[in-house]
Amino acid sequence: MFALIKREIQDHIVYFIGAAAFSAVFIIISVSLVHQYDPKEPPVFSIGLGVPAATIVIFGICAMGATQMYLDRTRKISALLSTLAVSRNRILLTRVITGILVILILFVPLTITAGILVRLFSPPIPVFTGMVFEISVTAFLMAFAIYCIGLQTGWNSSALTPSLGALFLTCIFIPLILIKGFGAHIVVILVLFIAASLIRTWHTFMKTSL
Amino acid sequence: MKTLIKSPALNYPVKVFATGFVVLTLVSIPLFWFRFICQMSLSVRMPDDSKGVLIEPSGLVPLEFENDPNVVSHSRVSANIYSEERKLLSLGIGDYFITRFPGERHSNVYFFESDTEWMYFDKKSGQIVYRYNDIQIMPDKTTREKIVQLYIGPEGVSETPGKTLGRFMDPIIDHGWVERRWIALRQGRLCELILYDKKLRSFFKIDFNQRTIIKGPKLVKDFPSHKPIQIGQLSKTTFELNYLDWTPPRIRVPDKDPNKTELRTELRPIIPTGYGYDAGPYLLVLDESGRIDLLDKETLEFVRRTPEFPGVAGRLPEPETYFGSRGSGKPKDLLGYKVWPLSLTTYFFENPEEVKVTFGDPSYLYIKRPPARVERKYLGMFAVSLSRDGTALALAVFDENGREIKTEYSRLPKYEGRYTTYVQSSKAFFFGAPWSPALTIGKYLAENLQPPILSVASYFTASAFEAASGHRALFFLPNSFIAMKAGDRGENFAERFMSALWSILPSIILAIWLSIRVGKNAVTLGLSENARLYWIIGTLAFGLTAYITYRLTRPKITLVTCPNCGKMRRPDMAKCHRCKSDWLVPELIPPAWRVLDSGEQIRDSSTAEQAAAE
Amino acid sequence: MDENVIKVENLVKYFDGRCVLDGISLNVPRGCIYGLLGRNGSGKTTIIRILLGLEPPTRGRTFLLDTESTELSAKVHGRIGYVAEGHNLIQNYRVGRLIKLCKDLSLQWNDEFFNHLIETFRLPTDRRVKELSIGMRAQLNLSLAMAIDPELLIFDDPTLGLDTVARRQFLELAIELIAQQGRTILFCSHILGDVERIADKIGILAAGKLVVDCPLEELKERVKKLRVIFPESAPSNLYLTEIINQQVRDREMVITVANWNKQKQTVLETFKPSSCTEMPMSLEDIFIECTKPKQKSIES
Repeated sequence: MFALIKREIQDHIVYFIGAAAFSAVFIIISVSLVHQYDPKEPPVFSIGLGVPAATIVIFGICAMGATQMYLDRTRKISALLSTLAVSRNRILLTRVITGILVILILFVPLTITAGILVRLFSPPIPVFTGMVFEISVTAFLMAFAIYCIGLQTGWNSSALTPSLGALFLTCIFIPLILIKGFGAHIVVILVLFIAASLIRTWHTFMKTSL
Repeated sequence: MKTLIKSPALNYPVKVFATGFVVLTLVSIPLFWFRFICQMSLSVRMPDDSKGVLIEPSGLVPLEFENDPNVVSHSRVSANIYSEERKLLSLGIGDYFITRFPGERHSNVYFFESDTEWMYFDKKSGQIVYRYNDIQIMPDKTTREKIVQLYIGPEGVSETPGKTLGRFMDPIIDHGWVERRWIALRQGRLCELILYDKKLRSFFKIDFNQRTIIKGPKLVKDFPSHKPIQIGQLSKTTFELNYLDWTPPRIRVPDKDPNKTELRTELRPIIPTGYGYDAGPYLLVLDESGRIDLLDKETLEFVRRTPEFPGVAGRLPEPETYFGSRGSGKPKDLLGYKVWPLSLTTYFFENPEEVKVTFGDPSYLYIKRPPARVERKYLGMFAVSLSRDGTALALAVFDENGREIKTEYSRLPKYEGRYTTYVQSSKAFFFGAPWSPALTIGKYLAENLQPPILSVASYFTASAFEAASGHRALFFLPNSFIAMKAGDRGENFAERFMSALWSILPSIILAIWLSIRVGKNAVTLGLSENARLYWIIGTLAFGLTAYITYRLTRPKITLVTCPNCGKMRRPDMAKCHRCKSDWLVPELIPPAWRVLDSGEQIRDSSTAEQAAAE
Repeated sequence: MDENVIKVENLVKYFDGRCVLDGISLNVPRGCIYGLLGRNGSGKTTIIRILLGLEPPTRGRTFLLDTESTELSAKVHGRIGYVAEGHNLIQNYRVGRLIKLCKDLSLQWNDEFFNHLIETFRLPTDRRVKELSIGMRAQLNLSLAMAIDPELLIFDDPTLGLDTVARRQFLELAIELIAQQGRTILFCSHILGDVERIADKIGILAAGKLVVDCPLEELKERVKKLRVIFPESAPSNLYLTEIINQQVRDREMVITVANWNKQKQTVLETFKPSSCTEMPMSLEDIFIECTKPKQKSIES
């Protein structure tokens, strides 16, 4: 199992580096926002940097899922691995674990930083109690859901379907956060969506010819 | 567990449900946005004349003021629907952040002015914590500021926390007092506060000067049953409802501006008017049924029913539904509401000749020295409700005995020569402006693309959704036309339900058509009878979503022509699912001979014929 | 434990409406070297892929090491060495990294044997797989398959791309493996000379069917090619069954018959031929006879 995870990490190291880099970017933006907060002057620079960075992150996470499956299919990686002492279940599981690791690398430092900033700069009473946790959980699950969209669309020999399909579905799915906000309502939908997507991906991967 | 996972009988339904949920989510989101854009466009186009309600004279002002000969404009109460761009903030993300600001419904912080002045409910300890700047006057007449932090529990008030103070479980405070603390009271801090604990079912009055807490009697389960949800300042924050505005009778007085040389006059209230939400000696208490009770601030008991007083101060009015009947007046079913009590305060000073009268809370801005005696009289209240879909207002006036004096509804006046007719504002919303009918049809069609079963479920569950959250609903549609029909009390249940089904007729027709297609394709693909039946039922129930799911999950098999019946058959079945003939592959012609292990001769159909010929 | 390491039961496979396998059944007992032969597109690779669970069957079942192919566990996979047609390796990996991956994922790894193979084949470990020649990729694939000490070896045209010397080395390796008890080999190859050297049992696929499935020696006994000269013109009908091929030229008839026995001999002798000579056939000859398109319809 560890060998498989190591293989996945090595093959997709660029996403790990990207996640760490963007996590650092967001941390810098958060710290500068808090440090230089002026109610009279909107933080144009921070927002100007944050919005494109968030967009790249969203599509990057989706691309990771799509790329993992697409490269597997075109390079016949699973075709080789499944003739070794490895089952298809494990191949898919390690793939998903790798995706989760990337998302965690992106969000955990950010969440810790947000927690520290809230503690340092928030009022002495629990004005924002639970918000950091709720927002972090929702963001993590949303990222995971987008990753699952990438997994579903990536298993295709044509390069167009994974890229356009994943892009299209991500653009449809992301605004769910605007509709539902953060908190329990969206968490339930995201958890169910993730479970359903993983079941679908698992089914497709187990039944397909390699 | 492993066997269960590998079981093909379980695998396929699991895959179908999983795919179905993914499809349902991905289809529902763009449909939501389409409905949202239609709704927002309709809001922008809503005729201005249909957005407001006015009652003039208000009916609560004592006649000596209302009929004063100097009065040039009578008292009036009005309310308006104000939407447009604020609709964006009613989405989940806006609602999430806004409702967590201090004083909002999801915040335990009642107010936060600065690091030294705030009040919040600490769930952990079950106590309310209040910090303020106490200005103390020293013997030498200088003042000194001291930061005081009080811990308030049902058993007491103290500067040190402790279990002896008890635990509140689920307190609701009178936000009106919190907001008026600067104006109404000395030294900018609270003198007293009334709160209600839902779990303890008692009212409490906190006296900050004496640092005591008085507990009222526990609400018993009698008739009418009491389930307070809000006390004092009764309002539901919504971006749909701009304000409830009350103007007292006004007289014309000379303009005292010294900078102006011309003789000018201005309109001023006949008597000063203080800040709203003051009910004199009482506190308004909103029940979850929409009934508004009066709580005696001294005894912390509800004002008893008498022959003159029904025991109820009034209720939230019921806006008209799209279908013309009265809707629900329950707070949960209203997108917004506001209640404005009116009281008359009379100040008696040492000089008996000197009497001052104001509407509402005294607001010491107008009074230069403390009075000897204050008399407060409750006059009645104004209540406005905004319907669930945000298209209709109802404004009601109740007198001090809880009698409904007048109720007005938002309507669009239509001038036809000498006659004026009125169109209900909901109808004006959907059809009263240019392009509104097209947008309404768009919204209607988008609703009909939802799965029929969810539309029917919306009919039955609409009232279970809180009104504002209905605007953010993804799968169930509490604000759809079919759900609106559920709220229409003009017909009996059967008639109402049939009308509701009629309203989703396009959805039903689409579902039937798709289920026929699915059924035919299932026959072609050779799905079993049971599977075909499930898919037909599923498509009838879930419409387009089920059809897409079927297309994604159906077996991906290339059919081949059966040499026996000539129809397309599945190669993964031993017999043709159409004519039940055995499998033949006429394009392959293997030789008649076999050289098999130990002389064993396996005869298949192709070799059998040839061997017989030999 | 079943005696048969590989079991195929009535296997049917369709690709996009085209039938490739039409009811194949075969068994490969433990310790056997089974040569599966067939022309291009006859379905050899398909059978192997279905056996390994890489391809789902349309109908029928297949078993490897007592486990159904659709449910092969990691442990069972670990007991099988597979050399795929076209040498399915991860092209952009370096050889060293690929070796490490296979080693980490194997249940057992014979380092000494593997290193011996690498040295024998002189494979560079620092180059990418896609930079190797076809032959070197074949050698690498072979080495990886053998290094895990497999209980079952499945070769799909393993010597494709190998030069003569390398082919000979592979054969010797295979023979070495055979010597180890309990090893079973299933292999497909177009170089029938190699198959003839090592195979115990032969299977030949034609028109979606397994037309031959018997031990090699028995095959040579049962399939006979005879040159028969008749005193006058050759009869049009010999009243013999299971004629694979028949060519007539005046008095001479060359006939290939399956399942040759005394009964058939007796039938032939009733036509009083002037002479009847058996033409010896190698496996390649038998294969060509069995799979070439019919020149004359077989009717008695």
